[in-house]
Formats: sequence, structure tokens, C-alpha cells
Amino acid sequence: MNVQNPIQFEPITAAHSGPVELTILPEATRFNLRIDPAGLAAASTAFGVDLPERIGGWAESATRSAICLGPDEWVLLAEETDRQAIEASFAGIYSDVPHSLTDISDREIAIEITGDRAAELLTVACPRNLDAIAPGSGVRTLFDSAQVVLYRDTSDKFRIEVWRSFFPHVWELLIIANKELASGL
Amino acid sequence: MTAFRIPGKGRVNHDTAVRFRFDGKSYGGVEGDTVASALLANGVHLMGRSFKYHRPRGPVTAGSEEPNALIGTSRGKGRFEPNTRATVQEIYDGLKAESQNKWPSLNFDIGAVNDRLYMLFSAGFYYKTFMWPKSFWDRVYEPVIRAAAGLGVSPSEPDPDSYASRYLHCDVLIVGAGPAGLAAALTAGRSGSDVVIVDEHTEMGGTLLSEDQVQIAGQSAWDWLSATLDELKGMNNVRLMTRTTAIGYYHQNMVALSQKLTDHLAAVPGNAPRERMWRVRANQVVLAQGAIERPLVFDGNDRPGVMFAGAAQTYLNRYGVKVGERAVIVTSHDSAWYCAFDLADAGVAVAAIADTRDEIAPEFAQMAADKGIEVLKGHTVSSTTGRLRVKSVLVNPVRNGKVGASRTIDCDALLMCGGWTPSLHLFSHTKGSLNWDSEAEVFLPGDKTEACHIAGAGRGLWGIARALEDGANAGSEAAIAAGYATEVGLYPVEADRTGGGVTHKELPSDRDAGKAKAFIDFQNDVTAKDIRLAVREGMRSIEHVKRYTTNGMATDQGKLSNMNGLTIAADAVGKEAPKVGLTTFRPPYTPTSFGTFAGYHKDAHFELTRKTPIDGWAEENEAAFEPVSLWRRAWYFPLSGEDMHRAVARECKATRQSLGMFDASTLGKIEVSGPDAVEFMNRMYTNPWTKLAAGRCRYGLLLGEDGYIRDDGVIGRLSQDKFHVTTTTGGAARVLNMMEDYLQTEWPDLKVWLTSTTEQWATIALNGPNARKLIEPFVEGQDLSEEAFPHMSVSECKVAGIPARLFRISFTGELGFEINVPARYGRELWEKLYEAGQQYDVCPYGTETMHVLRAEKGYIIVGQDTDGTVTPDDAGIGWAVGKKKPDFVGMRSLKRPDLVAEGRKQLVGLLTDDPKTLLEEGAQIVADPKQPIPMKMIGHVTSSYWSEALGRTIALAVVEGGRSRMGESLHIPMPDRVLSAKVTETVFYDPEGERLKA
Amino acid sequence: MLLIHCPYCDETLPELEFAYAGEAHIDRPEDPSAMTDEEWRDFLFIRNNKRGTHFERWRHINGCARFFNAVRDTVSDKFLTTYKAGTPRPSDAELEELGK
Repeated sequence: MNVQNPIQFEPITAAHSGPVELTILPEATRFNLRIDPAGLAAASTAFGVDLPERIGGWAESATRSAICLGPDEWVLLAEETDRQAIEASFAGIYSDVPHSLTDISDREIAIEITGDRAAELLTVACPRNLDAIAPGSGVRTLFDSAQVVLYRDTSDKFRIEVWRSFFPHVWELLIIANKELASGL
Repeated sequence: MTAFRIPGKGRVNHDTAVRFRFDGKSYGGVEGDTVASALLANGVHLMGRSFKYHRPRGPVTAGSEEPNALIGTSRGKGRFEPNTRATVQEIYDGLKAESQNKWPSLNFDIGAVNDRLYMLFSAGFYYKTFMWPKSFWDRVYEPVIRAAAGLGVSPSEPDPDSYASRYLHCDVLIVGAGPAGLAAALTAGRSGSDVVIVDEHTEMGGTLLSEDQVQIAGQSAWDWLSATLDELKGMNNVRLMTRTTAIGYYHQNMVALSQKLTDHLAAVPGNAPRERMWRVRANQVVLAQGAIERPLVFDGNDRPGVMFAGAAQTYLNRYGVKVGERAVIVTSHDSAWYCAFDLADAGVAVAAIADTRDEIAPEFAQMAADKGIEVLKGHTVSSTTGRLRVKSVLVNPVRNGKVGASRTIDCDALLMCGGWTPSLHLFSHTKGSLNWDSEAEVFLPGDKTEACHIAGAGRGLWGIARALEDGANAGSEAAIAAGYATEVGLYPVEADRTGGGVTHKELPSDRDAGKAKAFIDFQNDVTAKDIRLAVREGMRSIEHVKRYTTNGMATDQGKLSNMNGLTIAADAVGKEAPKVGLTTFRPPYTPTSFGTFAGYHKDAHFELTRKTPIDGWAEENEAAFEPVSLWRRAWYFPLSGEDMHRAVARECKATRQSLGMFDASTLGKIEVSGPDAVEFMNRMYTNPWTKLAAGRCRYGLLLGEDGYIRDDGVIGRLSQDKFHVTTTTGGAARVLNMMEDYLQTEWPDLKVWLTSTTEQWATIALNGPNARKLIEPFVEGQDLSEEAFPHMSVSECKVAGIPARLFRISFTGELGFEINVPARYGRELWEKLYEAGQQYDVCPYGTETMHVLRAEKGYIIVGQDTDGTVTPDDAGIGWAVGKKKPDFVGMRSLKRPDLVAEGRKQLVGLLTDDPKTLLEEGAQIVADPKQPIPMKMIGHVTSSYWSEALGRTIALAVVEGGRSRMGESLHIPMPDRVLSAKVTETVFYDPEGERLKA
Repeated sequence: MLLIHCPYCDETLPELEFAYAGEAHIDRPEDPSAMTDEEWRDFLFIRNNKRGTHFERWRHINGCARFFNAVRDTVSDKFLTTYKAGTPRPSDAELEELGK
């Protein structure tokens, strides 16, 4: 696999580098939504998920999810095929509830990090106290010197979304750290 | 069994023999030994030479504070480490160690001649000796000093090891796992709080490891220790870390830990890091670091065989090693008496205990008598003899301040104790205040700045019972402060060894003080005499004394020397110690490798490197790369045998003649979207935006509020409410930050939002007369004719079936397009265009050609042709400033008096008189080359290239009043000659701009 | 490394996530063109350099991305409080209370 430019549509799992499973997730539809919180109800209807109001909140429906990253900022995640439908749906509320809906599907690459030692692996470069990130929430933070959005699915399943050009650095550090965990020291 | 090892004694594993080499000779030790303990077991005390006088030295301590026994260790190619403390380095089969600072050998060292010339090397000798003549500095002094300076030899090869780092959060961090730390861990651990306890040694226990006679709660010390460690290990809320040193204590309870992982292993597991830096954020910190023994200051106190009584006790009780056959104890503190008793019990002949005090506890005298040890009360030590090992000690009675005649006692070990100094280094990192205890003559912790608790000997409480009690309380306080309920355990102690003592300056002597070599800082060879000399020569503050004498500047950072240096300096100054002050302790607590600090940031990960979606193609096509901010960008694409000059000339020519393609993906991109987008753009950028139609672009210029150029880029209006803003590569994050700042804090009422789309899009620039011909067949949904899609247009269409934002813009002066497609398709589209472009001899070009082509057109690069003090008018782009706008960022500043003053530096072109001469970027410009030096510099060259299109060199420069100097000759003085050039307009090529319309 | 309380996230987080952004409570004038050279100079360049309680701005740039205000003691480096952009500065009495 070309780690520099993962143009892939199927998940790719890193060769067994250590106890934690590292997977590059397939492409998805990803929007940056900026909107005055007063318009949240309309946006929730447009997207079909109740957008969380609290920073770090992460809400899901069967095929879509939304995470609140800032007081007026959400990331909307959906399937690849949903892009135009979502754009059309938000275009419908624009005149009443002005907002910015920007396609960032290709800006980021998502890495899934799974296993008993997933949280431990992340402590190599994430300065946050991971115990304070409850399952079902996520935050924008740092992994080493790269800005990332860190989602926590469950206690032992995380996802990192990182800008494409920062991806190789983050990915390679994760593999180095995973090998380090495997070394037993 | 080696001569000085006591079978079965201590905590080492006598059954597992280990062989290692020291200075080429093979020695035997046992598992659990340090290099120092193993060498001592072989009767070897001489382990190194001192820094300045090259005096023979042996270990003084049994711990990380060791100043003398520094060795180099080799673990294979690239794995040499100097200045390792032999008292800390564990042995393993195959370890290679060597002594330092000697030539040709440790026993016979030529450099020891310095010891005879000591009068030349007095305090401040650097400042006195190397003063004149000035010309000697570069050629003589500096090379000599450099050759002589430093202890070990620096490794010369790249370090092949890997290093790691971790963040860790906990409720209670306990530093030090002696009795106080362990009791704290038990209390805090039992409360349920998250506890981390660290200790720099191989095993936990601290002083308990050297005091197996103590009974704690009915158990022997070692049984209690192992039960305690078992209990702690059984708690999943407690993390125990050995070989881990807390090296720095930073704001809000962040403590840095350096953990050594592999230096003690003969076989290292694959992918294991050598060391790991932990950045711990603790709710509460307990400092239980104990105390460090204090040397006595007397002539010859540095000979091999002279060491701390406490160290001798540790070698005996923990390692089962006798430090000699015949020992003398010299002390001012009760603790050394126990050392004497333990040694005597182990079969060492203890010739005498010389105590400086007149009064001794009767039970001590009785015990000494029982063991046949001579007791010399009220005695001093005036000197020692022996070259490579102490042979005898001269002791003198002191009566009413008068020193009597000396008596010589033979010995091969002289064990000293001048009291104990609480270890407050980490506490000092926090800027916690220290209080002077004038009775004990020690500094104790005072006011705290952090949520920390200090327990045991670290706050002057001697003895194991008090350490346990104090530690348990500190652990409880910490856990309670972290929100837990605690129960404090009780630890009744029997056979504890408490006691007190007095401290001294130099010990009284009957010898000439001017000739005494009474060392204070062993490693840096600072004597008591040096300290007094420094004071005589005018040093009054301890900080000055320190720098003048180098006292406390050795690798032990004054752990042994600071207190003695201070009390002697205070005596010389005639003030109380606290008035003279204590030097500041700074991180790291012990020497720490660069690798630990670097962590994962080495080699390819030294710094984060950003790569574009097309980077892989450039790499496969053998591009040369250059770093541009964090990005690596294709610089040029050399064909075989081409140098940069030829490659760039070819790329420029191909682009101007037919077609070039360029990866512009690194350009910053910001989506500005919302009903107030145009109002926001009007306020941010100098240009007017209201009348820009959707589908059109404009060059945008961004100023700081101070009126200077901050950034620029082409901005396309996609719709009434949406702009696609581009920024410079390096300016992307800065511009977005600046925009967000204004939007969030100055104009929160505006309904407009910003999103970085730099990485959403891969951007391919196509330039040259055949650019349109190439892309036309690929484009769907946009007529590319001159009429329908003129220069400075933008369109959302499809290119090669991929949704795209297509710009018709040019940074080369040629017909140009920039195609933005979602990043995942970047390389795919690049390859398609490259393939189709073969019919036009398409030429991929890099950043260097881009720079040349734009310079030929006089297009500026922000940050190269501007430097943060350049206004739009200075840069010759005043046309980009909207004249009728009511306000924009930086507008008011353009009327500042100094920005409208005459004679500002203006951007101009320069053509050298010799068309082949290339000016150096950054070269200074003068009007008259014959004026006297220093000349008046009126500007500098900002850009300079070979222009293939013009067949000559071109340059851009900022020059005072430049635009009024058209045609004038200016001069550029270089080291070997003065160059001349004529001032021209900035546009060198196609000034009418005809080629844009091709 | 400091810990900083983000008033938007309502969490105390590592300094690495934040960027310093200069002195606080310096509003851009409504009508810069109406200002004298001296007034404009003061707005641009003249800043407090206080030993002690300092009003300053930070941005939670690697977090919620908001600019906010903080009061920090420049001697001890301790934050007295942080508060959202646009809210008034705490009074001296309030700061004294926080300092305790």
C-alpha cells in the first residue's frame, strides 16, 4: 500500500505491527458544518441526526453521525453516496437558517485503533487525559504535532481523523508505537 | 568469589556470575551488581580521573549523585555513551566499560601533571589565563581548551537506538520508593486513587535496601519490603516504575520522568526503545527523595578509597561487598557509627572512628569498645596519603579550637560523613521557597507553589520510623486532596538508626591551608581554597562564586558540593548562609540523554513532513525536493546528468514554449461562505469585492493592521455567498487564524464562516501556450474559449469526470489554468494529464522554475520579496488597494507618517552589467562603492535567477526610493569584488501581458 | 506545561492545544480613519507589560478553535480565570477573590 497517498475504497489493516489493530477506514462523506446554534433544530432535521449541543458530543443514526467540535462547528459523517442528498437538504434551509456546509471528505483520512491497549497506544503522542473522553464522544486535539479529531467509540476502540498530508506522520508513529508495545518494554 | 565479596550477603544474586570488561580487562561480578559494586568486589577503587588535575578517583557514593566514577560504556556500533555513573550502570554479560579523562592509562596519566601545576589552575583560571594576546584566542587557546575540556569523549556516530515517550495522568505521583515513598504509596493506593510511584534505582526500597537490621511491623525490613511491593503490585490502580528518574518538575504538577529500559540488558528485544520520557500530569505529587550524604572537607579527601560511610554501608549490606580490609571512619554525624559497626560485624578491621564532636552517645562508645574499635572523640583529619588508593589517614586531636599533633593510621578505606542534605532539587524546580534551619545547618522546604507534599528525610526527618510515618501521612494528604478517603497505616519500627550530628566548613587542620587540597566539587576539582579565593577576588553572591570556580557545575549539579561551597563562601563573606544564597537547581535532576528528549523525533520523524497527493509521482520521477514550511515540495525534475541550473532552464523553456505542469496543492485554501461573505472579504482584503461577479477571480492582498503585506493569493467568487480564497503555502494557517480572530472577536455579528480546504483539493497548474489545448477535451460543463472563460475566471465543472474547481489564472505570465479536484483524485488526474500532454511535450516543473517564471513577470512572493515591513506601494502593487473603501484591515496604517514618508524601500528590478553574473539573494546594495566602510546600505536583493527566456540573469530588490532610480547604476559589494547593476522595472518578460491571452 | 481552562469546552486541558494571542480587551476602533496618528499608534503598538495580573487572549486552536480571554499572573504563571470573548473583564474585587 502506498501510505503517502492512500486512495482506497476498502479498509486497509496495517500488517500485524503489534497488539493494537490499526485500520485505514474507507472514504466517506464528511462535511464541516458551521452554523449559529440557534439554527440547530433546522440543521438536525436537514441532516436526520439530532446534532449534539455540547462540545465533544457525538450523535448517530443508522448511517450518519455528527460530532460537535466547537460552539458553532460540527463534522457530519455519512456514506459516500449521500453527499449530494445532504447538500440538497441543507440548501433547502439556507435562506431561513444561513450556515456554511463545506465538503471536507478528502481533507481527512480516518484511522481506526482497536484493542485492549488502544488507549495506551494513543498516550505516546496525545497529551489529553484519555480517561476524560467518554465512549461515544470525541474531541479535536493533537497527536504529536498533528491536529486530529479523536473519536472514542468504546473503551477500546478509537478513531483518528487527520488531514491528509499529516497522515503519514501519524500513521507511521502509530506503527512504531505499536511495535514498541509488542516489544514488551 | 572475588576477594571483597561476602558470600551470601546482600541482595545480589550470588549464584549468577556476570562477566564484563573495564579498561580492556575482564572482571567477574554477580547479577544485581553495578559496575562500581562489581569493581569494588574485585578490590578496584580507581575508576577515573578528575577533570582539571587528572587526580585518581574512585566512587564516593553508591548512587546517581556520584561525581567521580564516570565511565564510558559501549554497546556496539554507535552505542557509546560517555559519563555514565559506574554506581548506577548495572552489569550484564559482555558489558564493555572504560575509564575517562586519562592518557595513556588510568594508572599512569600524563595529564596528572596538572596536579603539580595546580597553582596555575586556581579559581577563575579561565578568565585570568586566556586573556591576551587577543590573536591567541582562535589559534591557541580555544583549540587547547576544547581538546582538554569535557569529561568523556562524545560519540561520533549516529545513535541507532530508538527512544519513546508517553503521556500519563494520575491522582498521586510519588517520587522515591524508600520507606517514606512506599508508605505514601500504600496509603494512597489503598484509598483507590491512581498512584504512580517511581524510583531511579533497579529495585525499590531506598534506604531499606541497606538496612536489613530494621524491624517494621514485626517483620525484617526486607520481608516488609517484599510484602509491601507485592501488595502494591497487586493493586491495579498503582503503577510501579523502577530505573525511572523524575528529572524535572514543571507547572501544574507536570513531572518529567526518564525511564531506562535496556541499558542493563545483555539482549535487547526487537523494537524496544532504549529510554522513555514520561510526561506525567499528577493531581498531587509526593516528593520522597530522601537525603544525600555530605562530604567532609579535608586535605586529600578525594583519594580512591575515601568514600561516604553511607555508601560503604550500601555496598556492604545491599551488594555484599567490603570496600576495604582496614577502614577508618571520620564523621560529624551519628549515622557513620552504624557503618563502622556493620563493617566490623562483617569482618572488616575498623581501625578507628574519628568523630569531630567531643560528646558521643555512651551506647556508641560502648558498642565500639565491644567491637574493639578505637574511638577518637574531638578529632579532625588533616590529611591522607596514597597515590592510587588511600594508604593512611592523619588524625589530630582538637582541644579548645587548637589542633594538636597528627597521628597516622593505616587504612585502605576512609569512610566519611559530614551530615545529610535533604534532596530538594525537584522542589526547587517549582520555585518553592527554602527555609534555613540554622541548628541543623540545612535548607528545608518552605512555601509551596504546587500541589505537592514532601515526606521523610527530604524535609529533615531522619530515621526509618519517622520516614514511614511521614510518608503514610503525605500519601494520605495527597489522596484526600485528590478526592479519596484514606486510612493511615501504622508502622511500628524496631532497631531504627536515628541520630544527629553537626556540620563543618573545612575541617580544622595543623597544615598550611594554602597547600591543602581539600575538595568540595570532586568532579570539577574545586577546593575550599578556590572558594575563599573567589570571595577575596570580589565574588559575593553564591551565583558568582559558582561561575568563577565552577563549583556545582559538574554532572552531579552540586549534589555533593553545593552545601559545603555555600557554608565556606558564607564564612569567607562573613554572612549567614541564606544571605549568600543557594544556587538554583534546574532540570534535569540527573544527566539525561538527548535521545530521551527527542523521543520519536528522529530520522524521518524528526519533524512532521507534509506531502501532497502528487508527491509520490514526483518521488517516482526522481524529483529533487525542497522544504517549504512543513511541506516537502518538488523543487525540480532533473533528467539524467542534469544539474539544477540545466533542469530549471529546460523546465522554464518548455513551459514558455509549449506546456508545463506543476503541483500547486500546497497552496492554502479557505472557503469563505455565508450571506456576509462579501462584506467580510471587503473588510479583510485591500481589494474591493462587491462588484466581483460569481465565476470571476481577483488577486487578493492581505495586510496586517500595521499596513504591511501579510499574504496574497487569487480569490475566486463561486457564488454570491461563497469565495474560494487561496493563500501562500506557508501562510495558510496564519491567514485562517487571523480571519477567525477578526470574525470571532471583532465582527461576531457577521454571518459568514470559514473552513480550511487546503487538503480537500489537489491542485494542478498548467501553464503554456498549449494549456488550453491539453485540458479542453477533459473538461465538461465549461466552455474554455477566451470569451466564455477569460483570464481570471473560475468554474465548478468536471475534469476527466471528476468534480473540479477550474481557475483560469497564471503565475507564470503564460496562458494558465489551475485545476482543483478532491485530493484522492489528484494523482490520477495528474497522470492522465501527463500522458495526454506528451503530444505537447508537457514538462513537469518544480518550485524553482515556478520562482523563475514568476520573477520574469515581476510577481512577488510574500516572505521573499517582502519581509513584514513592506507596504503595497513599496511592493509596487498599490493598484490592488481599493481606493474608495471605507475600511479594511491595515487601511488606516497606510496613512501612518512613516509609511507615507519619502525614501521608503521600493521593489525594483535589477539587471547586472554582466548578463551572466548572478546576484546573491540577500546581498546588500550601495549607491557609491567607494564610500568608506561602513557603507550606507540602501537595500538588498530579494530574488535572483537565471532567466532562460531572456538569456541573462534577472533580480528583484528593495531599494530606498527605488522607483525614482530607474536606469541608475547601483553596486553590490561582495567579499571578492563589487558587482554593478542597473535599476529597471520589475516586469522583465512580456510587459504587455499578451501571452496570458494566448 | 500549563493547564488552561477553555471557557467554551468547560474543560481544563494541556497548553499544547492552545496558542497565545496577545493582550486582551484591545478593541479595534469603530472608525479607524477618524483616529489621529497618536491614537492609532497606541492601538497598534502600545501594550501593557505587567508584572502580575495580566489580561490576555488565548485560542484553543487545537480544540474548539475559539479565542477567549484569560487573567494570568505573569510572576507565578498561574491563571486566575478564563472567560469567553466579548464578556467584560472581571473587576478588581472579583480578581482579588479569585486570587485567594
